[in-house]
Amino acid sequence: MNAEHRWLEAYPELGSGPISTEPYISPEWYEKEKEKIFSKVWLCVGRANELPRPGDYKVKRIEAANTSVIVMRGKDGQIRAFHNMCAHRGNTVVTENGQETYGRNRAGVITCRFHGWVYAADGALRSVPSQERFYSCFDKGDNGLAPIHLDTWEGFLFVNVAEKPEHSLAEFLGDYAEHFRGFPFEELDYGFTYRTELDCNWKVAHDAFAEAYHVDTIHAGSFPNVFSSGLQNVKLMGPHRTCAVCLTLDAKPTPVAGIANRIAGASLVSQRGKSMLPATINPDHRPDFAFELSVLFPNTLLHVSEGIWFTHQFWPLAHNRTLWEGRYYVKAPTSNAGRWAIEHAMTLQRNAWLEDTATMEDTQRAMQSRAKMQQHLQDDEILIRHGAIIVDQYVNA
Amino acid sequence: MTELTLPAAFADLAPWLDWALPTADGRQDRRLASTSDTLRRFYDAVLPRLEDILAEVDKHPLGQLPAALRPLYDIALSLAEVAPHIELYDGAVGVPYAFEEGRFIAVHGGEPTWSTPQPMMTPAP
Ligand code: FES
Ligand SMILES: [Fe+2]
Repeated sequence: MNAEHRWLEAYPELGSGPISTEPYISPEWYEKEKEKIFSKVWLCVGRANELPRPGDYKVKRIEAANTSVIVMRGKDGQIRAFHNMCAHRGNTVVTENGQETYGRNRAGVITCRFHGWVYAADGALRSVPSQERFYSCFDKGDNGLAPIHLDTWEGFLFVNVAEKPEHSLAEFLGDYAEHFRGFPFEELDYGFTYRTELDCNWKVAHDAFAEAYHVDTIHAGSFPNVFSSGLQNVKLMGPHRTCAVCLTLDAKPTPVAGIANRIAGASLVSQRGKSMLPATINPDHRPDFAFELSVLFPNTLLHVSEGIWFTHQFWPLAHNRTLWEGRYYVKAPTSNAGRWAIEHAMTLQRNAWLEDTATMEDTQRAMQSRAKMQQHLQDDEILIRHGAIIVDQYVNA
Repeated sequence: MTELTLPAAFADLAPWLDWALPTADGRQDRRLASTSDTLRRFYDAVLPRLEDILAEVDKHPLGQLPAALRPLYDIALSLAEVAPHIELYDGAVGVPYAFEEGRFIAVHGGEPTWSTPQPMMTPAP
């Protein structure tokens, strides 16, 4: 066995050849991704605890599925999803103020601003001002909000805009759901969100986060001397994928980081135990385990670690434009010093993400020059290879 | 705006009161508008007092920091913002070899940190 090529040996079906850059730069390919991926599969749009009370709602734009989704908790406690489009003349029912809009209506209804049509949280059209002036062919009962399939896993909200999804959410997640079962997402619910729009394809962004080969170079500033021992435990699960990222964590912390780590342990580069990780994660209890890096197809990266979890999401806006959202979660602080320590960890993480995103637009521009039409991947870049192959399978299905 | 003040025990930090900024966005902006030399002097002045500041603010429950202690707390938060630049980036005011900071939106960035609401969500109306 060749230790340098262990992932090829584990997954020979992925092959080892170069990967085409065409899917990253072609507008036609992107149109197919919209149709065959983003309009067909389950997409994670948030957490149930973002909508704690009846009448809470969130609107999430999903341009790659040509819609924006209202996710709303009804008086019955149920969360449902609808297209954000009024049955009258098509205005958005909830006026959006960006990619994500949060709101609350105590009465559990939403009202279109244009002419005041009112919808209940179950989507039913509740009232129409001057209803008598519509004609007899108009039936209120047929004109509720257009529903979207919604299901949940571990507190994550997923929507599927297909009329009839090919798979249930449980089928779609498959072994991926098992892999993360038991991680206390719910307990670690104190989160921060950063976002930006990147002038690059969503897969360029995905790829830049889906390997640890870049840690020594790109993160030489924020995470110095955490010499990577590479990936461990790569597991491919249908369209999803996961691995452990191992880093040498015994570097002496800098003074402020040392104080923050002692208080909160909320930073990725502070050494932590393994008490809350499910048995499937870091099964050999490697002391250099830093975090699990997984890809929930198509556009969510989910990472878990002791006391921390975080996600990256890549929402395509065009073939060369992507909304990136990074969310970082820890246990809610219980003291002012704890809050301070979390702020320090978050600042450091933001800086690392600033380093991560630094290459993406350059990569896209260079790829668009078509000077080279292939990219070369080494064995530890297997998640990228798997991603490219899965996208190809969906697009050409 | 009322004059910001510090408890007597922390009067030595008075020259740094313009770093007493309640929001993450404010602290980031000040750091970016600063000079390497100022960052270093700020770091050198506040680091030796950090443990004392944290002990002082921890005399009060989370989210109930008296107004009189908020400037002190905000200075400590500014140290969290500045520290990586001294400890890791050799005094650079920006993150070296990074994406444009101004284009990164912190959803929680405009809220006062001391009040510690769930920072991920925009408060619902
Ligand atoms: S478009 Fe919504 S009420 Fe007219
Ligand atoms: Fe990275």
